[in-house]
Amino acid sequence: MKRFIQHEELARDSRFIRQQNVLTTVLATLPDEVDAVVETFDKFGPMIEESSRGTAAEPLFEKFGPAFALVTLNEPIVAGQEGVEDRLKMRMHGIFVGEMQALEGAGRSLWDFPDAPWDFKMNMARQCWDEARHVQIYEKLMEHVGAQAGDYPESTFLFECACSDDPAMRVAGVNRGLEGLACDVFRDLIRYADATGDETMKQAVDYVLADELTHVRFGSEWVKEFTKDDKDHFERTQEFRREVDKQFSFGGSRSDREDAAIRIAWQDRLEAGFTEEELRELAEISSGGPSQKTMLAAAKILQERHLARRAAAAQDGEARS
Amino acid sequence: MSEERLYPGVGPDERTTFDAYSAFDVPADLRELHGRYDVESTARRVRNFRYAQEWMMMIGGGWVATIPELPVKTGLGKIVWDDAKSADELGHRLPELRCGKRSVTTSEPANEGFAAVIQEVAEPERPDLTIEKITGMFDVLKPHLLAVYDRMQRETDQISDAPTIEILDDIMRRTRKHIAWGDEVLERLCDTDGKRERRRIRANELRAQLEACGGVTGEIADESPRVH
Repeated sequence: MKRFIQHEELARDSRFIRQQNVLTTVLATLPDEVDAVVETFDKFGPMIEESSRGTAAEPLFEKFGPAFALVTLNEPIVAGQEGVEDRLKMRMHGIFVGEMQALEGAGRSLWDFPDAPWDFKMNMARQCWDEARHVQIYEKLMEHVGAQAGDYPESTFLFECACSDDPAMRVAGVNRGLEGLACDVFRDLIRYADATGDETMKQAVDYVLADELTHVRFGSEWVKEFTKDDKDHFERTQEFRREVDKQFSFGGSRSDREDAAIRIAWQDRLEAGFTEEELRELAEISSGGPSQKTMLAAAKILQERHLARRAAAAQDGEARS
Repeated sequence: MSEERLYPGVGPDERTTFDAYSAFDVPADLRELHGRYDVESTARRVRNFRYAQEWMMMIGGGWVATIPELPVKTGLGKIVWDDAKSADELGHRLPELRCGKRSVTTSEPANEGFAAVIQEVAEPERPDLTIEKITGMFDVLKPHLLAVYDRMQRETDQISDAPTIEILDDIMRRTRKHIAWGDEVLERLCDTDGKRERRRIRANELRAQLEACGGVTGEIADESPRVH
């Protein structure tokens, strides 16, 4: 078995469909301009349509067009709001595949770095079990909210961004970037479960969050250990983490902004070993990108264009027949 | 009537009145001193066992991303942790066997042949080779280790080397579960004659290689039970 695999090589059963990661990458670099968001999503429209075909996202694509993620995934989950069920299902599915990639990332750390210190291997092995349980937990939680594995396309960009060939960067990416994002997402989900009185969801996610804090701590400790005698290496690792954090902010949807879909879980992150300085930096890094207002305005234009195209295609079809 | 003595004195008439047996005799301790392995050979065997457990942990970790069947992927996640714990427990025995403080992370293959067996077990990579992956580790390697651990438990000094016996007890309990899990997975996956044949061929090839190198300790013939 070779060392270091690409994200395209992650093995999945026949239920799963892949989404191109490029859109998520582009989302992290978009300016706060309606036209720029519209043009970008329009350009990727055929690709988004293809990856949503045959999945539970297809009706959403038909209704909203290529920007359906802007009105589902990138919007806050608030009890009672219109469309919250779809948002919740997509969020759960996103977490489920994220956990799977975290499991794969931790597992590959064992195989890719055979000469790593024993304590590192122990931490990664423990993380394998934890992430495996998280996959099982979210499989159950998906069922709990009416979704199933493979219902939505899977983006493997978490694995792609986080899995560096350098062990210090790997733990910075997986254990601090990816698991840090998980802290934010899970705290948000606990808030939702609390608001809706869903004790099953609240308890399960709280256990998962407790595990994630441990994994972030693994990351914080191993970044220090792997770079302890090399200041330059430490700096490059920090830079890598900043890049990952930028990617994982989804153009500001995960940030400390008032209009963020998912807020940074400061308290949990502090407990996990992030410093105040790192969190201020994360807030700064993730604050850029289009505002919610811009996203929704772009989504409206994209929906109108999409429906117009559909109507034109239908007319064309009728004329031909 | 003289007062009962709670503690012995220096004279022959100053004995206590307690009966001459202890809790150790109830039930009688039938264990005997002297086992097949001395301190050095037990230490070497523990290093050999740790080598196998550590590599199984790493291989399982690597496979997780290459296996499409979700329950196998998540099942392996737990087994990776179990194998890590086994390697860790064996490592902690090494300083107790006069190998030095730093020996806790020492792994050692018995010979190049066994190291090659481990690499052969790790070889299947493609997502359509789950049968070959699971067969290698769960039909061949783990049953072989279970047999060797069992023999070690029976043949080592039952009193002097009891700490090794205790460690192997835990590892064997986990290993039995792993083998049962692997068998269940393979029974499910091998649902055609062709797939069952793949399992048989893979098991036989690896078992032959294992026997040729003398197994995990390099000393003994494979004692693992034959598969289907």
